[in-house]
Amino acid sequence: MQNPIVIGIDAGGTMTDTILVDKDGRFKIGKAATTPRDEAEGFLQSAEDAAEAWGISLDTLFSGVNVVLYSGTGMLNTLLSRTGRRLGLITTKGTEDMILMGRGLQAWSDYSYADRLHAVTHQHPAPLVPRRRTHGVTERVDQFGDVVIPVYEHEARTAAKALIKDKVEGICICLLFSHVNPSHEKRIAEIVAEEVKKANADIRVYTSHEIRPVIREQSRLNSVLIEAYATSRGRAQLEGIEAISKSHGFKYGVQTLLSFGGLTSIKHPRLHETMISGPIGGILGAAYVGKMIGNDNLVCSDMGGTSFDMGVITRGQTRLENEPIMDRFKLNLPTLHLDTIGAGAGMILKVDPLTKKISLGPESAGSDPGPICFGRGGTEPTIADCDAILGRLNPDYFLGGKVKLDVAKAERIFKQKCADVLGVPVHEAAEGMIHMLETDANNALRRVISGQGIHPSEFSLFSYGGSGPLHLAGYSRGIGLKDIITFKFAAAFSAFGCTTADYMRRHAVSVQIDIPPTADDKALSVFGAKVNDIWVDLTARAITEMEEDGHKKSKIRTEPFLMMRYTGQLEDVEVIAPLRAVKTPNDLKTVIAAFEDVYEKINHRVSRYGQAGFSIAELGVVATADKVKPVLIKHDLGAADPKAAHKGKRRVYLSGAWHVAEIYEMDDLQPGNEVVGPAIIEHPATTLVVHPKDRVRIDEWELLHYKHAG
Amino acid sequence: MTNYSQDVIRDLIAGELPWHQTKRIMSAYKDDDRFFKVVAVLQDRVTWTEQILLPIGEHLFIVQKGKTRITKCDCGHEFGDYKKNWKLAANIYVRKDKRSLREIYPNSDLCHPDWMELREFICPGCATLLEVEACPPGYPIVHDFQPDLEGFYRDWLKTPLP
Repeated sequence: MQNPIVIGIDAGGTMTDTILVDKDGRFKIGKAATTPRDEAEGFLQSAEDAAEAWGISLDTLFSGVNVVLYSGTGMLNTLLSRTGRRLGLITTKGTEDMILMGRGLQAWSDYSYADRLHAVTHQHPAPLVPRRRTHGVTERVDQFGDVVIPVYEHEARTAAKALIKDKVEGICICLLFSHVNPSHEKRIAEIVAEEVKKANADIRVYTSHEIRPVIREQSRLNSVLIEAYATSRGRAQLEGIEAISKSHGFKYGVQTLLSFGGLTSIKHPRLHETMISGPIGGILGAAYVGKMIGNDNLVCSDMGGTSFDMGVITRGQTRLENEPIMDRFKLNLPTLHLDTIGAGAGMILKVDPLTKKISLGPESAGSDPGPICFGRGGTEPTIADCDAILGRLNPDYFLGGKVKLDVAKAERIFKQKCADVLGVPVHEAAEGMIHMLETDANNALRRVISGQGIHPSEFSLFSYGGSGPLHLAGYSRGIGLKDIITFKFAAAFSAFGCTTADYMRRHAVSVQIDIPPTADDKALSVFGAKVNDIWVDLTARAITEMEEDGHKKSKIRTEPFLMMRYTGQLEDVEVIAPLRAVKTPNDLKTVIAAFEDVYEKINHRVSRYGQAGFSIAELGVVATADKVKPVLIKHDLGAADPKAAHKGKRRVYLSGAWHVAEIYEMDDLQPGNEVVGPAIIEHPATTLVVHPKDRVRIDEWELLHYKHAG
Repeated sequence: MTNYSQDVIRDLIAGELPWHQTKRIMSAYKDDDRFFKVVAVLQDRVTWTEQILLPIGEHLFIVQKGKTRITKCDCGHEFGDYKKNWKLAANIYVRKDKRSLREIYPNSDLCHPDWMELREFICPGCATLLEVEACPPGYPIVHDFQPDLEGFYRDWLKTPLP
């Protein structure tokens, strides 16, 4: 076997997963607990686990690879724990309270439905800059970019001095309509820089037009603040990862994943774009595998210890969300769309002694202390404990035997805290708990699918994440999906997905170009020139940034896009431009036609409404450069009998009764094999439960297809 | 039913419980014995020994004193029979001109003193601001509420009034 050339690592809330890929796309995975205080520790343990699986040392691994991809939680934790930098803010006079007012929905965005209605629980997230370090400067640019009031420079200077005196570590500048005309932001930034220099202070200046020149000032403000607030520590974590990789012989720079699905170096100038990256990997991986096996209507489902993430890919197209919410801050950062509910194997179970009401979570036992059965000091029963009690998890083969599960202890505490309170036998109670979790996930999946307006029978379900296969049978039952697929590398699927991404930059700017339906060729060429100028400018910027990252210009592909709508509508549609430049009126007509095509696909043919005219709200460019990716290898189908993978029998509680289940080793299953339940298919990092009479078939790509009986 | 320890309720009342924990309590069903725990915590916080029957403000309580029930401040000052408006026995500062209103609203627009005045009710014992009223000038002092103690204990708490 050749040595790996790509390492992909995904640090989640509970586990850090590693995938190693060699030149031919073969891969192995590793796993270790996430270490939030110093992520480098978990990173190294996880990499070591994978290296061991490959049969090489860490030094051999790191000195041989070309690419190290890391997606972590450092920045998000900085934001959640409010341990970021001390910031100051300069804004248009009169809008200083914007930061305190926030968006109304930020006060309840991650609440349950009951709490959304329960207004007394609404609470704005603590601001990243206190009001006393927010300074207003008299100036005004209107929505057309015209200067209404010039910058009062003396006010900017006073504000800068006050902030320097306040010992801030970063100064953010966010003015109204700076995405249309940034001249005032630029001037204030110059003044601040002069004052900082005079005071000989070490303060970085961030301007909103550089970070994200996109309409809607609250989201723009949040983007600038989060970039300034959280990324320095996040960058330090990433630099720690890079340093430790280099100390083991790695020769290049570490890469990380962008929320819209590309890779970038850890020197990325807008590092907040990498903050929501973890679950994105799964969607990328699913889209990639889907394309490879010729299946492009997919529902992805990722179940780990804490959350259940779902994404939809329709006709190979992933969905971008333009204003996602991160820790209850609304950002204008394009992000692959995911739906998430709290549901995972680490969920803590509680039973109310009076009402006998059972609640799952929302707290998760995480990796520290973890479920009771881990024996690391956990005292609250979790779903994973139920899985262990029912024999679904092999106590001697969890993480390949690295963690011995203390089933007796789990059973004792579960009996005392849950089963006895409910007054039902332990095994019945444990299965009931699992059933509740799977029902939650099942309902969420149905909701996500029906939200697409497409019938479930057209979709295949991809299931991954450490506990995805464990609960797959339950959460996919009865939906009527076309196919249900899981993977031998399910536990590291997100990390796998990261390795399928290309290097990417996305530059976009808000515009207001309204094309009337009656526009003649002369008018169209004026509009076209406007569009083209911005594309040329953005393309140059994207290419420069990628070149700075060490990509050869000849390897960089650029693709312009537009956010368009019929004039008067409130929502945009993203349109990939059908041509690289708009030079003639006909070119612009081609672009408009492309918009109408996309619009028709998303909505319906009869919803076209060109009579209203067309508005372009945003212009952008995506630049990409290729990278080695893992491939799935197609094998010949062999016999159906899976005896080569058979490793024993075990008593397992399924569907209300004890069964003697056949146990198989997942990695030893061959293409063509078919396993009939009751059975357990084990992997060091995951477990697939096959319910009685259900079937699992291994296809020529070594993917596992789950088929419910009857 | 949820159940919280006395310590948690004490921190809740003191405003020292972290927000996520406070939120969890707010979102959950109310515990059956919350009233008694709250009263016990409040009783611990005051220096006097009369039994608290009902808290009616941040610093004010209706307490059992011998055979009478009176309104009492946490500093110990007594306002007399709880059925009488305690405000009448408080020190009152009325802000009815621009200068005094400006102290409250240094940076913003003011109400017109001909149309509205602010009445601050201050404890004669500890000078704590107990209540503020915004009324048109001449409007009688508002009796905020007169609780039906007997009915509350009998029908809601299901225990006899001490």
